[in-house]
Amino acid sequence: METKVGRDVLAPQPARLVARGFRLTPVLMVLPAVVVLLAITVFPLVFTLRLTVMSWELTTGFPPQFVRLQNFARAFFQDPRFWNAMMNTGILAVVGVGLQTLIGMGLALELHQLGRLRTFVLSLLLIPVMIAPVIAGFQFRMIYNDQFGPLNYLLDRFTGGRFHGYAWLADPRVALGAVMFTDVWQWTPFMTLVVLAGLQAIPAELLEAAEVDGATGPQTLRRVMLPLLLPVIVIGVLVRFMDTFKLFDIVYQLTAGGPGNVTETIAYYTYLEGFKFFSLGYTSALAFIQLAVITVVAQVFLRYQKRVRAGMAT
Amino acid sequence: MQAPRELHVIKWDFPPKFGNVTVNVVGDAGHNLAPYEFWKDHFPKAGITIKIIEVPFEGVYEKEKTEFVAGSGAFDVVTFYPAYVGDFASNGYLEPLDEYMKKQPDSVWNPRQEDVLPPFRELYNKWAGKTYALTIDGDAHLLIYRKDLFTNAAEKAAFKAKYGKELMPPETWEDWLQIGAFFTRKKGEKLAGQTLERDFYGSAEFAKRGFSFAWFVDRWAASGDLYFDENMKPQINSPAAVKALQNFVDSLKNAPPDVRGYGYDELRDALLKGSVAMVVQWTDVPKKGANPAESQVVGKLDYGRVPGWRIGGKVVHRAMMPVGRVVAVASSSKNKLAAYWVAKHIAYDMSLEDVSTAFTGLDVNRGVHFSHPEAYVDFKSKAEAAAYLDRVKEALGDGYPEIFIPGAAQYEDALDLHVNKALAGQETPKQALDAVAQEWNAITDRLGRQKQIDLWHQALMSYKVAGLIK
Repeated sequence: METKVGRDVLAPQPARLVARGFRLTPVLMVLPAVVVLLAITVFPLVFTLRLTVMSWELTTGFPPQFVRLQNFARAFFQDPRFWNAMMNTGILAVVGVGLQTLIGMGLALELHQLGRLRTFVLSLLLIPVMIAPVIAGFQFRMIYNDQFGPLNYLLDRFTGGRFHGYAWLADPRVALGAVMFTDVWQWTPFMTLVVLAGLQAIPAELLEAAEVDGATGPQTLRRVMLPLLLPVIVIGVLVRFMDTFKLFDIVYQLTAGGPGNVTETIAYYTYLEGFKFFSLGYTSALAFIQLAVITVVAQVFLRYQKRVRAGMAT
Repeated sequence: MQAPRELHVIKWDFPPKFGNVTVNVVGDAGHNLAPYEFWKDHFPKAGITIKIIEVPFEGVYEKEKTEFVAGSGAFDVVTFYPAYVGDFASNGYLEPLDEYMKKQPDSVWNPRQEDVLPPFRELYNKWAGKTYALTIDGDAHLLIYRKDLFTNAAEKAAFKAKYGKELMPPETWEDWLQIGAFFTRKKGEKLAGQTLERDFYGSAEFAKRGFSFAWFVDRWAASGDLYFDENMKPQINSPAAVKALQNFVDSLKNAPPDVRGYGYDELRDALLKGSVAMVVQWTDVPKKGANPAESQVVGKLDYGRVPGWRIGGKVVHRAMMPVGRVVAVASSSKNKLAAYWVAKHIAYDMSLEDVSTAFTGLDVNRGVHFSHPEAYVDFKSKAEAAAYLDRVKEALGDGYPEIFIPGAAQYEDALDLHVNKALAGQETPKQALDAVAQEWNAITDRLGRQKQIDLWHQALMSYKVAGLIK
């Protein structure tokens, strides 16, 4: 009987088997992940992309029909409701996220100064982020209630009855502001967390050097801290911008898009088209328009962040 | 929740025992699913286990449609708003019930559809001549007002002095505005001899997105217009419609400041908490108004026909019949016969108990519900209950239907959106209704004009059979 030891065990196999072994093993190992990715990401995306050029009205029972780019033409040229929803979403994204960033930065700077209490205060601040948006919407529906809500009660007490029973959600001039305030309340702590993480990553020697050079507090903030914080702020703003495009729960709970359609966001409108009217082709086109907008904006943000980082490196 | 007392007015029997099957029932969450709780002991005796799936009021259509399209077979008994009966039946999601209703013995299987009021039987239950659903809630609008204010001597005198006529419940929508303005008072002023501790309003409306269109249709339908003409050309932007919407917009001046956020609950509470003099509401609200646990105006309410318009020397009234509820058997159900019996048990066997209690929002819909006022124990007396039922009968006589054809959700949403924009001051009534007409045309084209015309003709036939149009 021949016994193989040492190098003999690892003797080369026939070339054909080696080649096949090298090809199959990694493929087999990656295959489950690829299948899962194809099933849950690529297939829905391709299927939805196909739907964007179809008319498929589930209320009629007619089979889907190829309509070329009509769904996009309808959104861009024939549907004022689409533009209204985009405008509302834009206001919430620019003003709302802007407020979240400013307030979040302010809170982060204050928290950065705190000693041992920082973790405790931060935990309290983060509670709104942990609440489901639909619950936050419900809470604020109670808070804004004109007759029984605590907001009007406090305003009534503090103004001696001069400010009484204001209809926050029913007045078309302020309803979008009320939605925005709820979103700001819920997500400002997230920006605080992001900026605080950035602040804690700034090397202490840089701040000490600024202090030695005689920089005042505002000068240190503007010339040292802000440039260093910019990359993380950009990421935070980008995440919030993308979330704002998906703002649905709060609108659903607070106003259902009303009064009129002054608070209808693009996510809420897409939901109506998809799940109330079952216009699957048009809904897919709306979804892809949002995807395109978010992708373009994300590219702008990421390029900006890259430039900032490159500037810091030099 | 306390189940109402079993009345045994309707005679029924249990079916031969099913083999412990589970029947999944879906419906809008809250008090309208209470009957399954009331009669939970009945189902095991029939060998049936009931599983309730609650869906938010606004989400019923989307939830059921999604499951139907997916073919998941998640539901056996579906509760829905009859505006969608055309959509569900024409797409094959519902089981035709005619054969089940003919099964013997009658006491087990026959839901006595001939006793159901024609508008509900013809519009809520049937599609293309077949019965697909059974009515459990016969909704219609009704005028509800504070009789203590309308009969108060000081208020009557003040009204006469101001307007030169008697203070009466509003007969026309012009009266609605006038009386609404008369009763609107500030905190500190007097109302029926009492100093007001908070602001008081003449009227209130359902002005929130969702069903505000129904309060517009209350005002518009008396003109005699239908939603579409024979060729699906919208008639919604006629001069009469613009006048009706202007009246709706003007009425907000006499309503609480947050009225644009008022849905069913807020409108009901404004009346029952004593903040307004009159509302147009669904017919279940008087039952709640008679219940001291829910109402601060017990014994102070009276009811009447929804106001109308003076046309050709007489006042024409129309009362919108929005929402309503029916139960049906899903065609994908694996236990169709058991599901049918459950639906029939709720829609007929126990229906008098269910519509006469204040614990549900279900409303009268068949003859037997009108002939037993003693069942309505929340009212102070049998006479008061009988008076309520008489007013409801009148309201149903003025009934005006929803759109009912496939695409109803889209047509009604477009109408509601622009009515709401007019209420919010974003559009004038004319602009709003012209926009609705334009959107309705676009919806019809998208859904297939010829098919929609055929469906509309079918709906018109049902309206005629139900006696709602000539």
